[in-house]
Amino acid sequence: MAVRVTRRAAFGGGAALLVASCGGGDPPPSGGAEPGSGAGLLGSLLALERAVIVAYGASAPVLRDDALRLARQIRAQEEEHVSRLEAAIRDLGGEPPAGRAAAEYERQFPRLRTQADALHFLEDLEERQLRGYLEALQELPELELRTMAAEIGADEGEQLAVVRVLAGGPASPHPFETGAL
Amino acid sequence: MSPAQTRRALLGAAAAFAVAAPAYAQGGRSDGEILEELLALEAQLAGAYEAALRRDAIDTSLGRLLLEQEREHIRGIEQAARSLGGRAPRAVVPPRELGAALRSRAAFARFALDLEAEALAAYTSASASISRPGLRRPLGSIMACESAHAVALRAAAGLPLLAGGPRPE
Repeated sequence: MAVRVTRRAAFGGGAALLVASCGGGDPPPSGGAEPGSGAGLLGSLLALERAVIVAYGASAPVLRDDALRLARQIRAQEEEHVSRLEAAIRDLGGEPPAGRAAAEYERQFPRLRTQADALHFLEDLEERQLRGYLEALQELPELELRTMAAEIGADEGEQLAVVRVLAGGPASPHPFETGAL
Repeated sequence: MSPAQTRRALLGAAAAFAVAAPAYAQGGRSDGEILEELLALEAQLAGAYEAALRRDAIDTSLGRLLLEQEREHIRGIEQAARSLGGRAPRAVVPPRELGAALRSRAAFARFALDLEAEALAAYTSASASISRPGLRRPLGSIMACESAHAVALRAAAGLPLLAGGPRPE
């Protein structure tokens, strides 16, 4: 029997590979952050943010009009998230890990031939980012860090909805985004 | 994850900690008080979408979707609040501005966006500050849903999809 691979599954697979790579390939924050301070978790979120910024850049050649304009705005928001995460890691006494070269991330991206390809890939990445921030809410030890994670998570929820609308889907298909367990 | 599973997560997280003290979030409010505030906001949202559907002040399919999702949030938070021994939900008075907002779809969209923004801010704060760690993620998942509601309302009203862009330093 032939196995049918949906576009969503194919691009979701690309996102999963990228996320796994972000978790495993980027070094943890160096310096004097205490174990259990949350610096390691923030470093993982930072690695994914950097990959997502490269993904928005790699998507730009196939995006048009509103999609291109909004992708640029979202990318600018992700850059702001990077700055906040880097500052938080430094406040914990760590040194944020240096990002990888864009080409290293791009090697793991699926082939983005059309706007629809790019939007499916970006939707999966946004979902994975949101899930990461929701997990961080449960795990980060300090209120200040959790507040930052919640604020960025709210941004990611908005970005995810925007990408869905651009892809022709509903902004809010579920009452509980990404699940909660 | 289905809404029922997420409601169970809310309930389970609340029940697991129901007998544990302290039940106070950082900031001085009890977890029960935080959930009560969220319930009151959800009830206002649900009431607003019900009224807008009755008065044709919102696209029917969008209004029904948002109303059903707010009701799912209410069911989940009520279960969590009850398991903490919370009080019965208080009666909610509709905001004064609702009457004027029902005069047109554009006016209602602006009104609903303000209400969704208020709910988003409340969930953002609650998901970080509630003392029971197991409740933070479910509240965060509702927070993200309220973010998506704002995008849905903006799309329907022909407003820019993304509210802000980068915040000023």
